[in-house]
Amino acid sequence: MSRPPPPFAPQNPTPGPNPAGPASSLPASFSNLQISRAPPPFASGGPPPGNGPAPSSIRGPQAPPPGARPFPGSPPPPSQPAPPLARPAASVQQSPPFGGPPAAQPQQMPPFNGSPFGPPAQVQRAPFGGPPGASQPPPFSGPPAALSQHPPFGGSPAAPTQPGPLGGPPYSAAQPPPFGGLPGAMAQRPFSGGSMPPFGGQQPPSQQGPYGGPPQFGGQRPGSQPPPFGAQVAPPSQPPPFMGPPGLNAPAFGPPGWQGQARPGIVPGGMQPPMRMPGMPGNMLPSALGQGMPSTPTMPYSPHAGAQVSTPSKIDPNQIPRPITETSVTIFETRQGGQAAVPPAASSEFIVKDTGNCSPRLMRCTMNQIPCTGDLLTTSGMPLALMVQPFALPHPSEEPIQLVDFGEMGPVRCSRCKAYINPFMRFVDQGKFFICNLCGFSNDTPREYLCNLGPDGRRRDADERPELCRGTVEFVASKEFLVREPMPAVYFFLIDVSMNAVHTGATAAACSAISQALSDLPEGPRTMVGIATFDSTIHFYSLKRSQQQPLMLIVPDIQDVYTPLQTDLILPLSECRESLEQLLESIPNMFENNRVADSAFGAAMKAGFLAMKSTGGKLLVFQSVLPSVGTGSLSAREAEGRSNISTGDKEAHKLLQPVDKTLKTMALEFAEYQVCVDVFITTQSYVDIASISVVPSTTGGRVYCYFPFSALSDPAKLFNDLRWNISRPQGFEAVMRVRCSQGLQVQDYSGNFCKRVPTDIDLPAIDSDKTIMVTFKHDDKFQENSECAFQCALLYTTVYGQRRIRVINISLTCTSMLSNLFRYADLETQFTYLVKQAASGIPSSPLSQVRDQVTSTCINILQSYRKYCASVSSSGQLILPEALKLLPLYTLALIKSIGLRNDGRVDDRSYWVSIVSSISVLLAVPLVFPRMISLHDLTSRDDEDTLIPNPLTLNSENIHDDGIYLLENGEDGFIYVGNAVNPVTLEQIFGVSSLAGVPTQLALEQFDNELSKKVNEVLNEIRRQRCSYLRLRLCQKGDQSGDFFRSLLVEDKAPGGLSYVEFLVHVHRQIQSKMT
Amino acid sequence: MSEFLELEAQDGIRMTWNVIPGTKQDAASCVVPVSALYTPLYPNPAIPVLPYAPLRCRICRSILNSFSVVDFDSKIWQCPFCFQRNHFPQHYSTVSASNLPTELYPQCTTVEYMATAEAGPVSPPVFLFVVDTCMIEEEIGYLKSALAQAVELLPDQSLVGLITFGTYVQVHELGFGLLPKSYVFNGTKEVTKDQILEQMGFFAGKKKPTTGVIAGARDGLSAESIARFLLPASECEFMLNSVIEELQKDPWPVSADQRASRCTGAALSVAAGLLGVCVPGSGARIMAFIGGPSTEGPGSIISKPLSEPIRSHKDLDKGSVALYNKAVKFYEEIAKQLVHQGHVLDLFACALDQVGVAEMKVAVERTGGIVVLAESFGHSVFKDSLRRIFQSGDNDLGLCFNGIFEINCSKDVKIQGIIGPCTSLEKKSPISSDTVVGQGNTSAWKMCGLDRKTSLCLVFDIAKKDGPDAIGQSTGNQFYFQFLTYYQHHDGQMRLRSTTVSRRWVAGSGSVQELLTGFDQEAAAAVMARLVSFKMEAEVDFDPVRWLDRALISLCSKFGDYQKETPSSFSLSPRLSIFPQFIFNLRRSQFVQVFNNSPDETAYFRMMLNRENVANAVVMIQPSLISYSFQSGPEPVLLDVTAIAADRILLLDSYFTVVIFHGITIAQWRKAGYQDQEGHEVFAQLLQAPQEEADTIIKERFPVPRLVVCDQYGSQARFLLAKLNPSVTYDSATPPPPGGDVIFTDDVSFQVFMDHLQRLAVQ
Repeated sequence: MSRPPPPFAPQNPTPGPNPAGPASSLPASFSNLQISRAPPPFASGGPPPGNGPAPSSIRGPQAPPPGARPFPGSPPPPSQPAPPLARPAASVQQSPPFGGPPAAQPQQMPPFNGSPFGPPAQVQRAPFGGPPGASQPPPFSGPPAALSQHPPFGGSPAAPTQPGPLGGPPYSAAQPPPFGGLPGAMAQRPFSGGSMPPFGGQQPPSQQGPYGGPPQFGGQRPGSQPPPFGAQVAPPSQPPPFMGPPGLNAPAFGPPGWQGQARPGIVPGGMQPPMRMPGMPGNMLPSALGQGMPSTPTMPYSPHAGAQVSTPSKIDPNQIPRPITETSVTIFETRQGGQAAVPPAASSEFIVKDTGNCSPRLMRCTMNQIPCTGDLLTTSGMPLALMVQPFALPHPSEEPIQLVDFGEMGPVRCSRCKAYINPFMRFVDQGKFFICNLCGFSNDTPREYLCNLGPDGRRRDADERPELCRGTVEFVASKEFLVREPMPAVYFFLIDVSMNAVHTGATAAACSAISQALSDLPEGPRTMVGIATFDSTIHFYSLKRSQQQPLMLIVPDIQDVYTPLQTDLILPLSECRESLEQLLESIPNMFENNRVADSAFGAAMKAGFLAMKSTGGKLLVFQSVLPSVGTGSLSAREAEGRSNISTGDKEAHKLLQPVDKTLKTMALEFAEYQVCVDVFITTQSYVDIASISVVPSTTGGRVYCYFPFSALSDPAKLFNDLRWNISRPQGFEAVMRVRCSQGLQVQDYSGNFCKRVPTDIDLPAIDSDKTIMVTFKHDDKFQENSECAFQCALLYTTVYGQRRIRVINISLTCTSMLSNLFRYADLETQFTYLVKQAASGIPSSPLSQVRDQVTSTCINILQSYRKYCASVSSSGQLILPEALKLLPLYTLALIKSIGLRNDGRVDDRSYWVSIVSSISVLLAVPLVFPRMISLHDLTSRDDEDTLIPNPLTLNSENIHDDGIYLLENGEDGFIYVGNAVNPVTLEQIFGVSSLAGVPTQLALEQFDNELSKKVNEVLNEIRRQRCSYLRLRLCQKGDQSGDFFRSLLVEDKAPGGLSYVEFLVHVHRQIQSKMT
Repeated sequence: MSEFLELEAQDGIRMTWNVIPGTKQDAASCVVPVSALYTPLYPNPAIPVLPYAPLRCRICRSILNSFSVVDFDSKIWQCPFCFQRNHFPQHYSTVSASNLPTELYPQCTTVEYMATAEAGPVSPPVFLFVVDTCMIEEEIGYLKSALAQAVELLPDQSLVGLITFGTYVQVHELGFGLLPKSYVFNGTKEVTKDQILEQMGFFAGKKKPTTGVIAGARDGLSAESIARFLLPASECEFMLNSVIEELQKDPWPVSADQRASRCTGAALSVAAGLLGVCVPGSGARIMAFIGGPSTEGPGSIISKPLSEPIRSHKDLDKGSVALYNKAVKFYEEIAKQLVHQGHVLDLFACALDQVGVAEMKVAVERTGGIVVLAESFGHSVFKDSLRRIFQSGDNDLGLCFNGIFEINCSKDVKIQGIIGPCTSLEKKSPISSDTVVGQGNTSAWKMCGLDRKTSLCLVFDIAKKDGPDAIGQSTGNQFYFQFLTYYQHHDGQMRLRSTTVSRRWVAGSGSVQELLTGFDQEAAAAVMARLVSFKMEAEVDFDPVRWLDRALISLCSKFGDYQKETPSSFSLSPRLSIFPQFIFNLRRSQFVQVFNNSPDETAYFRMMLNRENVANAVVMIQPSLISYSFQSGPEPVLLDVTAIAADRILLLDSYFTVVIFHGITIAQWRKAGYQDQEGHEVFAQLLQAPQEEADTIIKERFPVPRLVVCDQYGSQARFLLAKLNPSVTYDSATPPPPGGDVIFTDDVSFQVFMDHLQRLAVQ
């Protein structure tokens, strides 16, 4: 997932709507939450019989009810746009406690934006995509919008009228001045906001590309980076994630709106220029981190309302911790005062200034201080892991990663551990030696690299050399890193044309998607393409130019496959584009009457692999039925499992394991030859994703699933997924290694890759959506206050054929205090760890065991905090560490997630497991803890400045029969239509006047009315944020779909699942029983 | 001699002994076995074609024929082979001495029955082209144009298919109109019929039957699925032409020190499988066009590195060629499959190098295929031969399919086997001898492909023991033979040709002269040639020269006139007089002296020998030589070096090669261009005459022979000199006359050979 969100966020500082998406702001909102039960019950030890939420009581020991209280000072002044914190709450409507000051804000914003950016807006370059139209992208993106080209957006963008919210304010907003101390700083922000305009203004012009253009890495997309920085920009800009299905589909799927937006998504790049540094004083968050902080740790960035809620007598459902939507933009300097700064929540919008540590988007740790000893870590119950997302989409306003060329000598490295030069290597003795920060070895400085030290002990050239002052740099790979010429960008498409695939329209959808996506392939002579189709045999096509028609070559032997030609199957795109397009057009007709029902998926992949073996590349497979013949064929185990219930239940998880080793073996071979496989499953039945997903997950690809495939609604998503797949920032034939300071060692890597040696992982392809989790264990102690460094080195080939090494560094302080560990815990990262752990356990253990495991991890952490960090007085209370106060809620959501719930298809669970394995922090949370908004009242909202309305709490109290709601998790969008919805509303949104007329497979069209426009805008904005098109499904009360929808309401009590309040009680009780 | 030719003209049969040695001992002492060269489809317009089914003997299934004894009153006929008395059926009730059915007319010893309507629909012939693409562009170009021409000539209703191969085998789906489409098979693996069924989508959308023979439209394959690969020529001409047009050199790279990767074996197994699936039991030919040795997969004959030389006769003799035996075994399997399916393998081998004809011989010969060997696809030997196959007209080949050949004969005669293009059906019967020669152990043979010249050499065994009971059968001293050939006529109908002949037998010591009157020297030479070739292939350490010499000496001892121990008294009857010369030439021929040839050439020569009739075989053994000069008209001259003269033109026909040889003087005149000058028309005619004669020969012969025009003392003259009797050699006492020539050889001349023969025969 890319992190597109920024664009809007800035614009809509207003409380109500939170652009960023619910998830994003969560982390920030709470301070310690202490929930206590009514003393009596606890004392007795036994939970009250009823046990329901009611009985329990929450008593905030310390604080007065209003969450806001803790930081009373902060929010109020109207002058300050900032109050973000408060307002989220407010908008949420929930409890008064949080709600602070909100009201004022919305209005404030206008001033800012209005003027400064206004102009750009009109230019219409709606930054990110049209959607914002109304809301006005202006701030940052505004200018870039070069969008003009993308008509898609056009629709929406039009609304420039409101240049509104600009970015300026956002900043300020973002940083809520939690503490008294800060206020000062805050004050400035607003101003800074004001100052921003200038930037914004300038940039606009420069930014254009963001949207339309193909992903350009190296390019300097003006939009994304301001010239100033640019040394050589590495891969800064990102291609637009989605594009409406042009031509063909467009009409069908009603894409227009979407397209527009799609681009915007990408956009993020463009938008926020203003934020940049100038405005932001380095000191903004000056002391925030200091240890001197108050005992209730509050992270600087998470100022808000937090709280502690508690009422003596019972738990008030309105006061229990919930995520708060954060809508403002912050600027984050990665190191301040010689120390690592605590990164903002992954889901919030922020602009990183790399001052030595890498951007948290690229790499973030489960805890921002490292325990000195392994024992301490164990005691805390928390995991120590890094989430590495080497190609994470930057915020458009961020400085690009700089490229450093050491020429033939190659990058300077520690001669012992081979770590790359980084800002934390210490030069001594007039610079003649440098000491490796990872292994401690003292190296001679190469003569060419000598430089004297300044009075501060740093090299005098440290600030000029990116590798000495930036957490992330890229090195040009010297010869020693090349075992062969960097590979060309090779894309090989494999399309299922078996009978069912053709009948369901999947084949046509795939062909059309590929055809349209061709223009998004990297340009240049090194982009090669090939195509094959398959049923029970494999059909290659030779597109050699000299022949008028492509030649179709069938490989019938699917037990022992081969390629029919050595050359001519894969050609430079420029040479075969036309014939390929023609071929794609004719494939559906060609197989129209195909009566072969079998599908040789495994053999076809193998054959495709053989065709590209000499170069490596991406193999994109469109599979529609259960692979039934040939190498790696599968059987309908699910049905077999069902019919054999007795063993079925006990061994149910076996169905989630690959059926045998065939595909794994194949995948290892693919990986060895740098072939990455992505599988698009457009099916209407069981296909054994558990087995199939082994191939993509071993080769750095992923599974996309469209179940049940609908020729009506899915082609647009298929196209957008494919387009994003090939246009997002990515690299090929990569090898990655993470090094860490002595004292720790890498325990394991997890994600989609192939591991041959313990230290490195091989990634035939790596892209902006892929995250690799690295876990660590202690093998020694650290000194208190020393620094523990991590360095991720990724050697890869760009799509344009350059070999690069991306080096990502982070150095964190070590602590021996447990309370610091809790204070600096990173909730989203830890939770992502939990999700991934759970996913990896699903295939090997019964579900109930996995759920218990998840719960007990949560309990252990909280118990540790309770035991060692909380004040003794609160023995009867549930005390949550501020940083982790949402852990119970998320844990509950995880237990109820698709992956861990008992009902549901085996394939759905397998799919869930497969996407989780490489999911980023940013998307992991919403996947499990979805966002719900209401659609029917979009036009009547009073918080017009944000595009996306504030999310609703996930419980059924928020669902009304006369409402229409959208619940999305980054993959699917469920639209719930109550059965008493005003027909006019139905007509406006769906174009039909009765519920019965709404198709289940939704292709939401845009109609000519305001509500419909709004709905599409909102939807497109979400798509942009998630880098995903979302499969829309209609849910209605009273039938299965409605029940399913309700089952996603995490806070509700579900059959076999606790409600949120019940869960808190359960957790509390467990902790108590452990304590005694 | 002429009486034998007449017999041949009537029935297409020539026998070594037309008066048969009547007992086992007699036959053994006659040296040359009792055998017949039978041309089943001998073209004779006089042969009646009967539109009804034949009448068969209840016991031995032989067919009513003119030698049957008929009792018109009781409407009974007696079978001459088993003496069973059979009643005429109802529809023969009108038979009488004056109302004979055709097959009972004495002159109608050969008749043909045409299948009646209920026999089913006429199936069109099928041609499956199997084309090698591992060739230089130039050769591919030649081949393309030859194929294009062939496509044009294909009979409209015939079905066509195309397979190309190189490193892989490509089966082109000609019925797929949208784009050129082909199935690609791995060249390193044999492909079975079942795999073809499975992998080429013949069961698309349907369940494969679990039992039963599955193949062909009759067994449930849909006509559409077959029509993907085999289409009427008229329908797919465009597609076929465009595929041929786009044929390219096999794209897989070959390094300079390697042979191209060519999977001939796999291609043929795919072809066989495809035909087996689509048209089992109906006439079809695989026409393989091969431009080099197979180096890949089953049936490969040589490894890829060029450093390894291709096998020679020496290597084969030493048994040092592992691939050879494996390949032969592989092709034997292919042969079995094709025979089972009734399909033919034709081989067009055009390369400077060997391509493996020796290995493939078994498959070609057992299926009755055609083989053409040339140096290049651009050579007229190939181009014209290919055209001849499809050409209709006077000299068309009359290609027929799917034949079954059966014989019946009198009890005392047994059949050892057949040397020729056929396969034993292993139908053992009382007339199969225990001694087996060629395809034996049976009384029925499969002839997947046959044409009007295909000739089988049947070797008989006389089983009758000497003794008093030897005589006594009422039929007297006659042996009867009946040859039945069922086949798919080239018009698609099924026919049955029945030839019944009778020969007198004699026994005892006084029968020598009688036997001699029935001795057919030419047939004997042809049979001996086939026998010696067969033995050379079949028997280890066989010494052909010695065997031939012994046979000749024994024969001469038995039938010659001489006084013992007096060589000068030796003389031979005219019935036998030229036989020694045949044997002399046979000893020197390419059939026996293999070391001048590659194994491929030898295999080729032998295959031709084994399918040609007596006249052609004789030309192969002893070429004909005609002299043209001002002094006389064209006249045959002795095949001797002395025939060469400076003012003569010689025309040598050695069957495979036709040589026009200009004496030195003629050559000089020609070079001076006299033939173009006025007043020298006669010279021009002289030059023209042998040319015309050669053209006539070429036109009638298949495969088309190679024409060599050369001058005395020129390098090409070796084609003539090699065939001439070396009566004058470099160390002859007497130098040649002016304008004559010498042969640089140590071989003995015919004179010396005869001297020795006389000496040994009289001992």
